[in-house]
Amino acid sequence: MANFNIDAKKNMVYDAIVIGSGISGGWAAKELCEKGLKTLVLERGRIVEHVVDYPTMNLDPWDTELRGGLTPEEKEKHYKNIRSGWVDRETEHFWADDAANPYTETKPFLWLRGHQMGGKSLLWGKQTYRWSDLDFEANLKDGNGVDWPIRYKDMEPWYTYVEKFAGISGEALGLPQLPDSHFLPPMELNCVEKHVKERIEKEFKGRHMIIGRVAHLTQPHNGRGQCQNRNRCSRGCPYGAYFSSNAVTLPPANATGNLTIRPYSIVQSLIYDDKKEKVTGVRIIDSETNEAIEYHSKIVFVNASTLSTTQILMNSKSTRFENGLGNDSGELGHNLMDHTYRVGAMGKVDGFDDMYYKGRRPNGIYIPRYVNIDKDSKSDKFLRGFGFQGGGFRGGNPANIESFGADFKESILKPGPWEFFITGFAECLPYHDNQVTLNNNVLDKWGQPTLSIDAEFKANEKALNKQIQEDALEMLQKVGLKDVLGFDNEHPPGYGVHEMGTARMGRDPKTSVLNGFNQVHAAKNVFVTDGACMTSSSCVNPSLTYMALTARAANHAVSELKKLNL
Amino acid sequence: MDRRKAIQRTGQLAVTTLLMPSMLSLLQSCKKENRLDWQPEFLKEEEAKTISTLVDIILPRTETPGALDVKVDIFIDKVIAQTYDATEQEIIRAEIAAFNADCEKTFGNIFIDLNKTDQIKVLQEAETNSGKINPGVWGASVGEQKPIGFYRTMKSMAIWAYFTSEEIGKNVLSYDPVPGNYEPCKPLSEIGNRWSL
Repeated sequence: MANFNIDAKKNMVYDAIVIGSGISGGWAAKELCEKGLKTLVLERGRIVEHVVDYPTMNLDPWDTELRGGLTPEEKEKHYKNIRSGWVDRETEHFWADDAANPYTETKPFLWLRGHQMGGKSLLWGKQTYRWSDLDFEANLKDGNGVDWPIRYKDMEPWYTYVEKFAGISGEALGLPQLPDSHFLPPMELNCVEKHVKERIEKEFKGRHMIIGRVAHLTQPHNGRGQCQNRNRCSRGCPYGAYFSSNAVTLPPANATGNLTIRPYSIVQSLIYDDKKEKVTGVRIIDSETNEAIEYHSKIVFVNASTLSTTQILMNSKSTRFENGLGNDSGELGHNLMDHTYRVGAMGKVDGFDDMYYKGRRPNGIYIPRYVNIDKDSKSDKFLRGFGFQGGGFRGGNPANIESFGADFKESILKPGPWEFFITGFAECLPYHDNQVTLNNNVLDKWGQPTLSIDAEFKANEKALNKQIQEDALEMLQKVGLKDVLGFDNEHPPGYGVHEMGTARMGRDPKTSVLNGFNQVHAAKNVFVTDGACMTSSSCVNPSLTYMALTARAANHAVSELKKLNL
Repeated sequence: MDRRKAIQRTGQLAVTTLLMPSMLSLLQSCKKENRLDWQPEFLKEEEAKTISTLVDIILPRTETPGALDVKVDIFIDKVIAQTYDATEQEIIRAEIAAFNADCEKTFGNIFIDLNKTDQIKVLQEAETNSGKINPGVWGASVGEQKPIGFYRTMKSMAIWAYFTSEEIGKNVLSYDPVPGNYEPCKPLSEIGNRWSL
């Protein structure tokens, strides 16, 4: 797939503009282009063509001089990203430049960004789960935040729609709290995982352990190859075996002939026309020439990633919207959520020393939520719930073995002990005071105001984390693991990389930014379908829901355009 | 990493060096002709020899190549030179100095000038006294990592450098860059050594 149309000079007017080309932007582009709209995708970073622009996809450790190591200059460039533990030589080029794009942590918050075509869809974890009415009804039932304007039945056909195209592998369980997707065959558990699964399900009624449901192909699908179990996904996959905009949504968008993608385009603001009472286009800054340019369109999809989308809306000030576009409610920038991260337990597993595995499966196990799902599982310590990811593998750290010399060297050529871990992801409530604001004192490389992030996990999330660790320890001890160790790194929000909620959907324009079709209440030709739109956070990974919301909103947008309602 | 302690120990070493009879050190340097056959990017010759000797004892040549056969010492120098910032470089230098100062205090000589028996005693002592590296989950260690000390740091780097060298990674460990199917439960005897990737 080559030759994206990047010539945005001959045409300054489009049917649709999509800001951002990550998971949700890519879907918006595909849906709008396929429905016949001339669509301009504005990408902040460079073009990354599938396969062609994956320079490290086949490198072995010894192929790079520092074998994955980064120089002090590279570490400085990624001084925030690097806290995640994910940045290395093989993926460095897919992480944003923190130095050129500063943000202020009023309270500690890790904001991970990928500034290139495809955005973080190149780097994400690929865990894909449907949300349920347990999630969509949560705010209404316990009175936190505002009610979602949609329910599972609104989403179900769109989950199916995006799953059939994206290709999601997994095992159907029939659980109401984690509805089954339209699945490709599941990946397989290894022998230790199978053992732990049997024991957990026997010892703990109502708990299940399954292979992760993932956006990895386990068989060829829509012209893409199946996963080769190299686990080098974040470098870009030569087989197109995992879902990324680059491999999956942007090529068919391009194939329609309706797509123009303009790289190096930093959206400064949306242009609101007071007389027409709608947005007529966007102002961009060319990041290479600093040139200011305006593009016009009938509709705009803002998919710049949760916080960047929020930043653009806040920076879009007009007579009508003094405090940012669509911010009549005062909720824009508020209710920032993430999932808690890296709290759980690990241990060693005896009895499988003669067994190993072949292949580096890019997936682990999942334990769906089992607390607060019904009367019997109700906790009096916290609201909402958590799920676990984890896995079993032969690990150990040979450097910790108190030995050296010839025998030691021969021994470490063999695989280490079997280990198994689980780590929880807890739901975060929407708190009005977890917020981002525009900071005019810290400007980015292009002179634009930046964000200050002021958010924290509060008592409910801490109570959930306490339960996560207690349950993790109890499960691993009870199933017979050795040297069981609990952990809680007490990460601030951001580490889960599921930031969401700062332009929430809702039924009432007085308390929300977007309506039930992701339209800005007071500027209905503007759609926000990335994480900013989320009204609550669930404990379940959100990306599949972003995909489904985007396809649903794009369908609505085209239908409304045809009815001349936009 | 305890930076303050490392720097204090450098101070102690400076005093020791000043008091050392110059004739003795001359004699010692004549005693062994173990000149480096490579040019370090960062380490000074004596520091480089310390690292070379250390990694050779940890991962010696047997029927399989040893650390020096696959240039583990040269790679460690390169990593320090190119991935450490100035402060980190200062610390590792101070730690090598402190390691040698301890050798002198206990055995009367810097590490490379000790006989093999004493060198092994030094490492046995270090194994007991060095901290352990915390386990990790998804690219970061869990819990609060306590200082692991110079020895464990070097041992960890040596094993990493050894496993990721082309000779070991391709020809000694089990190497399969494109596994294709995932086989979840396979007898170890059918695979052999640990996977290199």
